[in-house]
Amino acid sequence: MRHVRARPFDKLRVTLGGITGNPVAFACVLVAMALLLFVPLGHNGYLEIVFRNILMYAAMAYGWNLIGGYTGYVSFGNVTFFGVGAYCAGVLSAHGVQNLLAYVLVAMVVNAAFAALVGLPVLRLRGHYFGIATLGIGLAVADIVENLDALGASSGIHLEQADEAHFSIYYYAMWLVALGAMLATFFIARSKLGYAFVAIRENEDAAAVLGIAATRYKIIAWAISAMMTGAAGAVFAPANGFIDPSITFAIDSNVFPIAMTILGGIGTAAGPFIGAVLLAGANEVLQNAFVNSHTLFFGSMIVLIVLLLPRGLVWVFGLRGGARTWLKTLTAFRA
Amino acid sequence: MTAAAESATVAGDAVALHIRDVGMRFGGLWALSGVSFDVPRGAVLGLIGPNGSGKTTLMNVVSGVYRPTTGEVVYGGRRIADVPTHAVCHLGIARTFQVVKPFANLTVRENVAVGAMYGRYGAKRSTRASFERAQELLEGVGLARVAERPASDLTIPDRKRLEVAKALALDPDVLLLDEVMAGLNASEVDEALELLRAVHARGVTLIVVEHLMKAIVSISTSIVVLAEGKKIAEGAPADVLSSPHVIEAYLGSRWAKRQQSLTAIERERLAAERLRADDAR
Repeated sequence: MRHVRARPFDKLRVTLGGITGNPVAFACVLVAMALLLFVPLGHNGYLEIVFRNILMYAAMAYGWNLIGGYTGYVSFGNVTFFGVGAYCAGVLSAHGVQNLLAYVLVAMVVNAAFAALVGLPVLRLRGHYFGIATLGIGLAVADIVENLDALGASSGIHLEQADEAHFSIYYYAMWLVALGAMLATFFIARSKLGYAFVAIRENEDAAAVLGIAATRYKIIAWAISAMMTGAAGAVFAPANGFIDPSITFAIDSNVFPIAMTILGGIGTAAGPFIGAVLLAGANEVLQNAFVNSHTLFFGSMIVLIVLLLPRGLVWVFGLRGGARTWLKTLTAFRA
Repeated sequence: MTAAAESATVAGDAVALHIRDVGMRFGGLWALSGVSFDVPRGAVLGLIGPNGSGKTTLMNVVSGVYRPTTGEVVYGGRRIADVPTHAVCHLGIARTFQVVKPFANLTVRENVAVGAMYGRYGAKRSTRASFERAQELLEGVGLARVAERPASDLTIPDRKRLEVAKALALDPDVLLLDEVMAGLNASEVDEALELLRAVHARGVTLIVVEHLMKAIVSISTSIVVLAEGKKIAEGAPADVLSSPHVIEAYLGSRWAKRQQSLTAIERERLAAERLRADDAR
């Protein structure tokens, strides 16, 4: 009677490593982050931009992971926070403020307030309805910006940039934003706050009966998500030197972080980074190799990973027993 | 303050829960109507009735999941309907779900720890203290051996145990148990009863919804019977279960006959004992 039913992937699920994901995966990610610090020393402008974009997407993926992965509210509107963050920097720059730290801090505060305000009505929706509403917010904000002369309307805003000798400051700033998002995720996930998020994801009604004020914690999750995403936008704007609605509210910036999180490992502290490196890196390589057909390869790659690694790449770190267990597990997921 | 709320304050500690004229309508159907009774502090109240008689609905009203259409439930001078669902456990009321709702991707220990973190005394507990409390409770309900497993791996009896452990993690004064023994075999039912007695011995008032008459009779201090959303009987277990009204509405005539024959066997056994005692003398 005391027997616990064993299914082929039980062992794998446990080795996912609980609420922060596999510890080995996270350690590997930290090592990779440390290595990324050396990129600007190569004095290769192109590579620096490629890796800065990877870090930017990583920060955005961590942002999405907190609301979509940990709290279980699949947002299609996180690009809004990226845009709002970028425009915070743009407006400050237009008013003569040339301070990266100020951009980031203002963007985080404005985004947290914006997310809380929008979240109050929107986070009462569940499932698909929440997704649709967030998509609508993104489109609405982009439209508003496009028609506001104070924000440069459709012609955008030019930002003053650091000179060439100091240009790597944007790389290091983006690195810090990504590291901050990553470590914040790691520590939040292990805290009481993280357990509230996950309980809401697993079963919102059961979470409420256990004393979790769901609306409050959903808003907190979304506000932190917005802060991470907005910080990335605030560094992107001066690094790019120019922002307009089509750049800052791009569909890519909306979809990429979601795809990255899912491919890397949703609801883990290592997954978003792994996904960002793989997807943004592969995208870059494929773009150079196949100028016209790279999206075909890119799409096929996403389909393959989803089919072969249904729980994301972090999962590979938890695999024990080699190819046979993996195959059995796949069958179990199909079933 | 309503009359019932005032009487709760006046009555002090004697009554844990006042259920006053509670009615609950879903569309055109009254799932409950005019249900009133008090739950004395320290009681084990058995709530029985046929399927669809409104037992779980009443549980949902008492635990603040539903707001009653009419009437009120008063606990410690406060109307439950005025308290948001997530705050009900902070008043000292906890419940289990008939259809268990584990956090499937969390471990068994994490499931219970979440209750310890956000329940009544959760604000005072660190994450570590919550996990320690969870481990204690898991040992208490016999789940320590699977503490590290994902909750989705548990068997049905273990899921029921987990529900009880999660509810206990909220440090309740009143615990609502919705069919925690359904689907258990005889020895598991005995274990469950033992667990409930231990919980009750710590001063927790229990409201037990169960179909298993043997279990209800052995643990309850009083019984309330619902049928078609109305209270049809209330009182000591022996009185309620021998009431013709209850037999007709719920227990059925077969049950009554079996009770009678049991009584007959009992009489013979007593007579035999008396004979033996006479012989010994």
